[in-house]
Amino acid sequence: MTTTPIRLQPPPVEPAPVVSVSAASHNAKMLEPAELSVELSGVNAFYGSRRVVRDISLPVRSNAITAIIGPSGCGKSTLLRCINRMHELTPGAHVEGRIEYHGIDLYAPDIDPVAVRRTIGMVFQQPNPFPTMSIHDNVAAPARFNGLIAGKAAEHDLVERCLRQAALWDEVKDKLKAGGTSLSGGQQQRLCIARALALEPDVLLMDEPCSALDPIATLQVENLMVELKRDYTIIIVTHNMQQASRVSDQTAFLTMGDDRAGYLVEMADTVEIFTNPRQQLTEDYVSGRFG
Amino acid sequence: MSSSALAVSDRLRATSRARHAKDRALMVLAWAALVVAVVPLVAIAWFLVEQGVRSISLEFFTSDPPGDLSASGGGIRNAVVGTLLMTGLATLIAVPAGIALAVFAREIGGRVAGSVRFVVDVLAGLPSIVVGIFVYSLVVVTTGHFSGLAGAVALAVIELPVIVVASDELLRLTDRRIDEGTRALGMLRWRSFLSVFIPTALSGIITGVLLAVSRAIGETAPLIFTALGNNFFTLDMNEPVQAMPLLIYRNALNSAFPAARDRAMGTALVLVVIVLAFNLMGRWIARRARPADQR
Ligand SMILES: Nc1ncnc2c1ncn2[C@@H]1O[C@H](COP(=O)(O)OP(=O)(O)OP(=O)(O)O)[C@@H](O)[C@H]1O
Ligand SMILES: [Mg+2]
Repeated sequence: MTTTPIRLQPPPVEPAPVVSVSAASHNAKMLEPAELSVELSGVNAFYGSRRVVRDISLPVRSNAITAIIGPSGCGKSTLLRCINRMHELTPGAHVEGRIEYHGIDLYAPDIDPVAVRRTIGMVFQQPNPFPTMSIHDNVAAPARFNGLIAGKAAEHDLVERCLRQAALWDEVKDKLKAGGTSLSGGQQQRLCIARALALEPDVLLMDEPCSALDPIATLQVENLMVELKRDYTIIIVTHNMQQASRVSDQTAFLTMGDDRAGYLVEMADTVEIFTNPRQQLTEDYVSGRFG
Repeated sequence: MSSSALAVSDRLRATSRARHAKDRALMVLAWAALVVAVVPLVAIAWFLVEQGVRSISLEFFTSDPPGDLSASGGGIRNAVVGTLLMTGLATLIAVPAGIALAVFAREIGGRVAGSVRFVVDVLAGLPSIVVGIFVYSLVVVTTGHFSGLAGAVALAVIELPVIVVASDELLRLTDRRIDEGTRALGMLRWRSFLSVFIPTALSGIITGVLLAVSRAIGETAPLIFTALGNNFFTLDMNEPVQAMPLLIYRNALNSAFPAARDRAMGTALVLVVIVLAFNLMGRWIARRARPADQR
């Protein structure tokens, strides 16, 4: 039997008693404490039979930046991809445990993964603008395809608004027709952020968004994130400790266990993690004493 | 100068001499290969022009051949139009089918895709006369008569594997990161292919299509018992239709008659020019389809 997929609604801005879940309101629930956006409980992720993420529980605060740090290969990207249901696109990969978005189980059978990805946007490590599309179309096309806008004027407004939000407008406003890949790496990354914003997501997942950027572009993207958290919930994976401490409000530290699966060592406010961690492992990692 | 410096300079000199000799030998070889490749090409081109050009006139394109092959005069209008119609129709059939097959193979993956690719490879290797027999029994026998439609179907079968292989290669090259980008943006699969992957691969796909067209345009065997040939002009694809290769074949068989021989040569020249034109057009379109910054 096929179930009608629900469109996930971004939550209302002000304290919301319940999540509005359009037609299928039988699924509506009382909201968790208003400030939690995404909540992972006991999440395990597998590639085939190999477990790469073990039993991770993370409460992600709304309108805040949550940083995920940890050594290479500990499953940070995998965890991030579980949240917007990208993980399951890898052949043989699957997820166990519970991931809730404002109290809605994102893996419930009546949830449409495509709707999840529209609500929970993603920015990748390598900028990936669509090569045959202009700057304008890179931003407008996905929104158009998703039926969010119609008409030239609406598109134009959207493109300008998103490019401004992504702090790219001034640099490209005179060449919106140029190819998306004709921009510099940093500009391309901000274009990809603008493209993600055009879908009006509620949560933004960013997987090492600055690792291909120079320090100036990195700073621009960091400032941008701080700007964006007024309207969005941001989860960022980063290898850059300064970046995590500069921009994030809360930090989760993952590492690999003996079975080479990543687990959560500690999660707390960023200040706590960097100045007063409860775990020795965390202290060693953030102060650069490891291995 | 110290002795070690001398040794070094000696060694340098010896090496460079040996290298230069090798270098020169390679250059000579490369030039020889070029000559071997170019001479026959130029010879064929020259032969065609020299033999064919005297048949070319306005009448050659505006009138149909005389009923009697050995009579001089007349033209090849019916064959040119027939070839263009049948090849065009074949391309209309083969392009969507070919791209759809490639998309299907890429999207489904696994064993099904493997068998699709295998079947396409077999199809590509089929002698074209076999394609002719196949379409004969499929279309001509079923409909009860030879027709331009049957010819077009046969040519589509010739084109199909070329288009599938080109599209498959190119879609495979689509960057995984771009693929993930479309998924993360909640784009549906058909939309990703239509708006991102196929446009990205487009210049290559067009090149593949033109390759397929120029192959089909010169095919004779699949047309012999499908389109059959027709001495008269027709636009009706339900009737037998003439094609340039068929006309060349029939006239060249009778080249004891100077008129037939000239007609065959003239048609061959026109055929080659048309194929060349398709080729150049394809390159031009391919260049225009590339993203702005790579042009
Ligand atoms: N497509 C895949 N198939 C199989 N195993 C994979 C796949 N992608 C990642 N892995 C494995 O899963 C584990 C976690 O990988 P992941 O990319 O999530 O780590 P990460 O913490 O993001 O590392 P990095 O900091 O280097 O980006 C690694 O051991 C990796 O080898
Ligand atoms: Mg990673």
